[in-house]
Amino acid sequence: MEASDISRLRQTDEVVEMVEASLIFILLEKILSIFTDELINIPLINPVVERLLEIPFLNVIIAFILWKPIFHVLILPGLIGMTLVLLFIIYFERKITARVQWRVGPKEVSRRTGGIIQALADGMRYLFQEVIVHKGANAFYFLQFPLISFLPVLLPLLFIPAGGTYGIKTIYTIPAALALISLIPVFIVAMGWASNSKFAYIGSVREAFMYFAYEIPFLLAVVAMIVLYQTPDPFEIVAKQWIPGAIMNPVAFLVFFITVLIATSRLPFDIPEADQEVAFGPYVEYSGIIFGLVMMLPYEKLYLLSMISVILFFGGWNGPEIAILGDLAPVIYLYIKTIVFMCVVSLARSIYARYRLDQSLRLGWGVIFSLSMIALLISVGWMAWLGL
Amino acid sequence: MVRVVKSPKKGLVRSAAGHLRAITEVAKVVVNPGTITIHYPRERRKYPENFRGMIMFDREDCISCFRCAHICPANAIQMYPDAEGRYFPGIDYAKCIFCHFCVDSCPTAALKQSKIHDVAYKDVGSMYVTPEQMNMIPEIVREDSITVEYDFGKDIQLIKKKEFENLLVEVEKPEKPEFKAVPQYGENCIGCRLCMFSCPVNAIKSKLEETKVILETDYEKCTGCGICVRICPTEVLILTPIEREGDHQ
Repeated sequence: MEASDISRLRQTDEVVEMVEASLIFILLEKILSIFTDELINIPLINPVVERLLEIPFLNVIIAFILWKPIFHVLILPGLIGMTLVLLFIIYFERKITARVQWRVGPKEVSRRTGGIIQALADGMRYLFQEVIVHKGANAFYFLQFPLISFLPVLLPLLFIPAGGTYGIKTIYTIPAALALISLIPVFIVAMGWASNSKFAYIGSVREAFMYFAYEIPFLLAVVAMIVLYQTPDPFEIVAKQWIPGAIMNPVAFLVFFITVLIATSRLPFDIPEADQEVAFGPYVEYSGIIFGLVMMLPYEKLYLLSMISVILFFGGWNGPEIAILGDLAPVIYLYIKTIVFMCVVSLARSIYARYRLDQSLRLGWGVIFSLSMIALLISVGWMAWLGL
Repeated sequence: MVRVVKSPKKGLVRSAAGHLRAITEVAKVVVNPGTITIHYPRERRKYPENFRGMIMFDREDCISCFRCAHICPANAIQMYPDAEGRYFPGIDYAKCIFCHFCVDSCPTAALKQSKIHDVAYKDVGSMYVTPEQMNMIPEIVREDSITVEYDFGKDIQLIKKKEFENLLVEVEKPEKPEFKAVPQYGENCIGCRLCMFSCPVNAIKSKLEETKVILETDYEKCTGCGICVRICPTEVLILTPIEREGDHQ
């Protein structure tokens, strides 16, 4: 081969390399432009973000995190926000119940803050505990269900918007989120079945009973609100709420509130996981971090339902604009309202005595069901009167 | 007479009022809870002076009278002899029920009460406290700076004071009874010599004169504990105050 041929070949190699490099760059630019098109706009951190976006490769990661859907699902109303809320609400619930009962509540872990990291400490303890799979359990499903039960918890977050951020924007947000949330009891029943234990079985059956008792009035209350606003699109619902929905249709709110209590097995209705009767019901056989995950499930459900109730009844992310927070301000409004709603729900356990299974079934199928019908009528009445 | 009490009428107004009452009550307590918990290692409840805690012992005052060992309902006190043959009490805290009968019965206040109630032993063996250990005050790690008192006046309340309470109680020592065991009714003596054997300080001696046993007390040694007086089946020995010692001899 002649020398000129070799040099030509080398040249072509270089050309190919150059083309490849530029291809990757073009691809990265394309990806970056997708992210930067829907970047969350927070004036407070904008200078830092602009500096970071100039750095190659890192800018893609930064843009990915600040991309609206990812920010929504991963950071504020999403995963990290939810974790913080769960850590707080468990502490708050224990502390407020202790206060009502003239006790002190968690205090010894970090005394100066009044034991605020107690839930975190419990989580750490669960992490280092052995996960026992007992002989009778169907090990595959027993370990699988607690993990995949996160699907119906995290997927609704994609649909529930938070004003500034949103995962998937459709007008059928509320029905889609509710459909996914109402999958959770299926997983709880399945956990009880996979545990293959007496208490877990009783707990699962109770969960199934309660599921049918509360789900219909619950959905009817939501339908009443959708009828009232005449759209299932949360953006429109929130925009229409210059009077909060709880005042427009208090009966629907009452039904929603009670069914949220039943759905998340909070204390007056802690029938499936009654500590004193069936020793945590469907979750009785779990231990270690798997128990930690499973124990969080009702709280996660509570978080999602609180978010939906804030959107439906308390004006969602409505609030005075804060210029410096930009898109983040409505997210924070929704977040804070959700936390307040959760606090009110967790206070209910120290007000009311426990209901028996038959009592709450009667309540669910009787009073609450008829109240939900009345709520529907009220919504229709508003519609007819306002001539919407 | 049988009275039929009707169940309260169910009504929307009534139940709504009940709900409201419950909610306001809880709201009231949330704002102003009546928590009466004492945060124990950091706060201590103020105990009265006669609190029945660990039993302190003062060897100097003990007259080896055995009253504590006799009265102990749980059989927790045992008398141990020392090198000189004197007996001193040792408490088995595994048995002790903290009734403080021993403290009450002690004529010289050698045993006295204290406010120490939180004591841990390494094992059951170390709960047998010997007279030598009885003198020692248990090592206390105090973390408290606040003393708390309950006020049972109108509504139960906590009164917190920033003071450091001394757990050891100062007791006014009674005057040491100056009694001596005197063999007053020698004619009753049956010569069993139980008094002689029971004396912890060997103060009683017996002499055989023909068929009679004559008892003699060494008043220098006698501590006036009265063991011989109690053990004597025929009440020969009498505890006599020291002032009238001369009259009986």
